Amino acid sequence: MLQIENLQVAYGKEEILHGISLTVKQGETLALIGESGAGKTTLGLSLLRLAGDTVTGSVRWQDRDLLKCTEEELRDVRGRLVALVHQNGGEVLHPLHTAVEQVAEAVRVHFPVTKEAAKAKAAETLAVVGLDADRHRLHPHRLSGGEQQRVLLAMALVNEPGLLILDEPTSSLDPPGKAQVLRILESTLRGRTNLLITHDLATAATVADTVAVLYSGRIVETGPCAEVFASPGHPYTRALLRAYPDMTTFKDIQCIPGHASSGVPGCAFHPRCSQRIEACAAEVPALETKTGGRAVACHRGGIVPMLEVAGLKKQLEGRTILQGISLTLYEGETLALVGESGSGKTTLAKTLMGLWPADGGTFRIDGKDGWARHQFYERIQLVFQNPKEAFSHRLNVGEIVREPLDIHNRGPKAERDGKVCRTLAEVDLPSTENFLRRYPHQLSGGEAQRVAIARALILEPKLLIADEITASLDAGVQARVIRLLMRLQDMRGLAILFITHDIALARKISDRAIVLKDGCVVETGLSSAVFTNPVHPYTRQLVEAAPRLHRQ
Amino acid sequence: MHIQYGKKLKSGPGLLGLYLLIFWAAVALAGFFLTPYAPEAYAGKAFLPPSAAHWLGTNDVGQDLLSQLMAGARTSLGVAIGAAFVSALLGALLGAGGTLVGGSVERLTVRMMDVGLVIPPILAAMLAAAYLQPGSFTLIGILAFFFWPGTGRLLRSQTLLLRESGPVTAARTFGAGRWYLLRRHVLPDLAPVLSAAMIHDARRAVFLEAGLAFLGISDPLAQSWGRMIQQALAFTYLDAWSWWLLPPGIAVSSLVLAFALIGTGLEETHAAD
Repeated sequence: MLQIENLQVAYGKEEILHGISLTVKQGETLALIGESGAGKTTLGLSLLRLAGDTVTGSVRWQDRDLLKCTEEELRDVRGRLVALVHQNGGEVLHPLHTAVEQVAEAVRVHFPVTKEAAKAKAAETLAVVGLDADRHRLHPHRLSGGEQQRVLLAMALVNEPGLLILDEPTSSLDPPGKAQVLRILESTLRGRTNLLITHDLATAATVADTVAVLYSGRIVETGPCAEVFASPGHPYTRALLRAYPDMTTFKDIQCIPGHASSGVPGCAFHPRCSQRIEACAAEVPALETKTGGRAVACHRGGIVPMLEVAGLKKQLEGRTILQGISLTLYEGETLALVGESGSGKTTLAKTLMGLWPADGGTFRIDGKDGWARHQFYERIQLVFQNPKEAFSHRLNVGEIVREPLDIHNRGPKAERDGKVCRTLAEVDLPSTENFLRRYPHQLSGGEAQRVAIARALILEPKLLIADEITASLDAGVQARVIRLLMRLQDMRGLAILFITHDIALARKISDRAIVLKDGCVVETGLSSAVFTNPVHPYTRQLVEAAPRLHRQ
Repeated sequence: MHIQYGKKLKSGPGLLGLYLLIFWAAVALAGFFLTPYAPEAYAGKAFLPPSAAHWLGTNDVGQDLLSQLMAGARTSLGVAIGAAFVSALLGALLGAGGTLVGGSVERLTVRMMDVGLVIPPILAAMLAAAYLQPGSFTLIGILAFFFWPGTGRLLRSQTLLLRESGPVTAARTFGAGRWYLLRRHVLPDLAPVLSAAMIHDARRAVFLEAGLAFLGISDPLAQSWGRMIQQALAFTYLDAWSWWLLPPGIAVSSLVLAFALIGTGLEETHAAD
C-alpha cells in the first residue's frame, strides 16, 4: 500500500504541492486528474525524488519511506520496486537503441544477467504489452506513437515492480492508439498498485478504481472513480467533467470560467467557483471524509443543493394535481422537468413561487425554508412561457427590467438604471435609449423572452425556474435563448429547473431529468440515462414521441 | 391601450355631454364670485320677471334667481364630484383592494358590498339625511356610502381578471406586495372602469342632491336647485313658475344628461378598445 502523507514540494521558493495526503491500496489503481499545471507530474516524479528542490512529508511504500532513502537506496528502488512510465515516448526513448535493447537495459541496471538473458526477458515483456516480435528490433523513430508508449510501458514492467507510476500514458495518442494502449493497460495494471496521472478522464474512467482530483497543488476530491464521475462532489470536479466531451451525455461541453492561478488565498478554486462564500477566500478547506469512501475539500461541503422539495402536494378544485413531489436541484445544474400538458409541471412552478398555496410538503431553497419567503425572491425567479403576456402594456423595456429593483427599493435610481443596462448586456440586448423606451408590442418573441430573462436575473437569483420558456419561439430563436441560459449557468452557477415537454431540448440542456405524470414522479436520474434507456413505459413513450429529423 | 386616453370622447353624444359639463362647470366656478347679487340677499322686489337687472327675475322674497341658479350649480357639481371621488376611493380600496388581499378580507368586503347593494339608496339616504341634518360634506359622505358598493362590485369583477393576469403574476414572483400591485398594476388598468363608475355616481349624486333638497332634508343654508324647485312649486298659480321653476328644472336635467352622455361615450370608446 502506498501512503503519501503531507507531501510538500517546492521549486526554489515556489511551493507546487501544498501537503498532499493520498493512499493507494494494494492492487488498486488511483487516477490523479486535474488541469495542466495543477502539479500532477510533479507529484508523480517527486515520489521517486525526481522533481522538486525541497520535498518534505512522507511517502511510505512497503515499509520504507521513499523520501528518507539515500540516493544509493533510491537507485535500487527506481525501476525495480517502483517504476515510472513517462509521457511522450518519442522524447524519452534513446534514438540510437532498438526497442528491445532499451527494455533490456532496464533489466541489466538492476540484475547481473547476460545481455541475451536480458533481451529474452525484454522480448517477453514487449509481447505482453502487445508489440509484435518483428518490431522489437526497430529504432524508436520507426515506431508509431502507440508502439513507443508500449515500449515505455514494457521498460517499466520488465522488472515487475510492485508500484507503477504512469504519467499521461495515453494523452499524446490518437483514438485507435489510445484504445489499444488502454486495453493493454487494463490487463497489465490488474493486480498491481498503480498511480495513474492523467488529464484524460476517459483513461481514468477505464482503468482506475479510485480517483483524486488535484487543483493548484491540493487534492480537492477523492473517491471511487465511478461514483465521483457519476455525481461529482466538488464544483471543480464537476467543471472538469462538464468540459470533457463524453459520448454518453447530450449536454454541450461547458468551460470553467476564469484561469487557474497560483498564490490565491483560501480555497484556490474560489475565484472560479460560483458557490463561494466569504470563508472560501479566507481559509483553505480541509479534505473532509464523507460516506462511501469519498472526500471533498470544500467549505460548503461540496456542491450545495439549491432546491430541495420533499412531498409537495397541491390540490385544485378538489383534484389532486401534485401527489407528493420530491426533487433536488444542485447549484449550477440543470434539472429538466418533463411531462405532457396537465402533468402538473406549471402547478409545481407556481406553487414553489408562492403564486398558489401548497397543500403539504417541505421545500428548502439554498438550505433555508422556502415557505418562509425570507430573502426569497433574490434566490429564486421564474420565467414564463409567454413573456408578452407577463409584461404590462403600460411599461417600456427599461421599466420592465427595473421593476424587481423598484419593488425591493434597491439603491438610487441611477444605480438601478446602470444595473438594467448591465443585465440587458448579459442577455445580448442593447441598452440604447431607443431600446429602453420600447413597449412590449414592439419586441420580437426572442427579444421579449430575453427581456423576461433579464428581468428575472436582475435580483441575481441562484435558481431560475424556466417554465416552457421557448415553447412559443421558433427553433433559431430558441437555440439562442438556450445558449444564453447555458452561458449564464457557466458564469453565475445558475441552477435551472427547466420545465418542458420537449425531450430533444431537455436532453440538450439538462444534467439530470425528472419525469412527471399525473402529478407523480415516474422516473428520475442522469439525463443521459433517462433519455437513452428509459425505464418507465411513460418515459419510453415520451422519448419515442420526441421530434426527429431523420427517418429511422 | 396605454396611448388611447387622448382619443376618447372625440365624437357623438359623449362630446355633447362633455360640452354640457364644461358649461355647467364654468357656471359653477362663476358661482363662487361672479354672481350678480349675493344668492341669499334681497336684491329687489318680489316676483320680478326677467329683466336687464335680473336676468331670471326674482322670487317671492326678492332674491335674484340667476344668482341662486349659479350658486346651485356650485352645490350640485361639488356634491356630485365629491360623492363620485369618495365612492371611487371606497370602491377601489374595498372592492379592488379586498379582492387583491384575498382570504377573509375578501370575504368581508364582498359581504359588505352585497349588503350595500340591497339597500335602496334614495330611501336610505333620505332617512340618513333626516337624522344627520347634513351640510354638504355630510351629504357627500352619505351619498358615497350608498354608492360605493356598486362601484366596488364593478371594480371587483375587473380585479378578479387582473389578479390572474401576467403582469400581476410576474410582479408577485419578484416579491411585490398588495399595495404595490394595486398602485402599479391594478389601478391603472381599472381606470376605464373606474372613470365610467365615477361618471355614473356623479349623475346619481346630482339627482339625489336635488331630490333631497326638494324634500327639504338638506342643509337649509346651502343654495340648491332642488330647493329652488320646491319653493317655486308653491307659486305655480302665478306666472313666476316660467322663470322660477323652469331654469332649475332644466339645469338638473341637463347636468344629469351631461353625465349620462359622457358615460355612454366612454363605454363606446372602451368597447372599441
